[in-house]
Amino acid sequence: MGLVTDRLPRVVEHIPGGGILITSIDALINWSRRNSLWPLAFGTKCCAIEMLMATGAPHQDLSRFGAEVARQSPRQADFMVVAGAIIKKMAPRVRLLYEQMAEPRYVIATGSCAISGGPFMYNSYTIVRGVDEVVPVDVYVPGCPPRPEAFFYGLMMLQKMIWEGESIARVGRRRKPVMAALPQGIKPEDFRDEVRRLLESENDINVDEAAASKIWLKKVDEWMAKHLLKP
Amino acid sequence: MALEPAAAKREKADRPAVQVPPDKLAALALRLRDEPALAFDLLLDHTAIDWIAENRFELVYVLYSTVHGHYLMLTTSVPRETPVVPTLSAVWPIAHWQEREVYDLMGVQYDDHPDLRRLFLEDEWQGHPLRKDYKDDYMLGLPK
Repeated sequence: MGLVTDRLPRVVEHIPGGGILITSIDALINWSRRNSLWPLAFGTKCCAIEMLMATGAPHQDLSRFGAEVARQSPRQADFMVVAGAIIKKMAPRVRLLYEQMAEPRYVIATGSCAISGGPFMYNSYTIVRGVDEVVPVDVYVPGCPPRPEAFFYGLMMLQKMIWEGESIARVGRRRKPVMAALPQGIKPEDFRDEVRRLLESENDINVDEAAASKIWLKKVDEWMAKHLLKP
Repeated sequence: MALEPAAAKREKADRPAVQVPPDKLAALALRLRDEPALAFDLLLDHTAIDWIAENRFELVYVLYSTVHGHYLMLTTSVPRETPVVPTLSAVWPIAHWQEREVYDLMGVQYDDHPDLRRLFLEDEWQGHPLRKDYKDDYMLGLPK
């Protein structure tokens, strides 16, 4: 029993009553989803050179992870790499692209600008401070710009999240992946209690709730109601 | 200097630079373009500087002659309360969009401009963001 639960964490799921439910369909679906992630060909700034061009080129080959089929249409894409700053004029279009993508859809924010506004955070009349004010973000990859290796690490985090945290029984809810490697000098004992508390409290993300709490989202919705949903 | 008595040569400039009052700007620009010895037939750049301490906008026109290959920087100053200058879009057609950009970001009003609308920002945008005293409700100030 230990072998099965260790090696196949999603095939066998403990349910609170003490019994075991075989969720083979989850495992099959998650396996196929994580190994065939199609990115949306979409870049706004200099991170796009690193994230979409450099990683797609043969030297660092994105197709090793099954994510090389960049789609020009959001209807066929699985995840969006927000590579670069989002300006206020672009924010409704990003939201529109996100909503045109088919479920399940994922967002990776790469670079300082997409995470927080980066060097344009203060005294800027045009930069939205972080793309998570517009769309819910699953994985953040820091850097200015990040190395392609860092992007691959983020992509593998996303794959891990899909593999471990998704279930067709809980559509729209995801589980954050547990950290895979530790920085030097930090032992698991140092933060075990904190991690346990986090895992118990904030482990599940409700995507819609997270999105609704953002400031900029209201302005985006106003814009979409004004420009797109006219009768 | 012979062309326009009101123009003054600017010291401390990288290129030959001339300052004129705004009401003499259009006539001088036309003469700079049509005089065969000068023949400034290309407006390379038009921009504005907000000198908020001196309460004025400085408008900069960078001219180039494709015939002779020489440059001239033409500058003029307008007060910040009434930033009105004559348009040069009749002299150099490229000034049409460059003046729309300066109007969009700095709020300089161009007299007789055929189509003075915003170029980059949305039409419903309030204010002119490259002014030094611009504020909006989303902007975050630098922490102390």
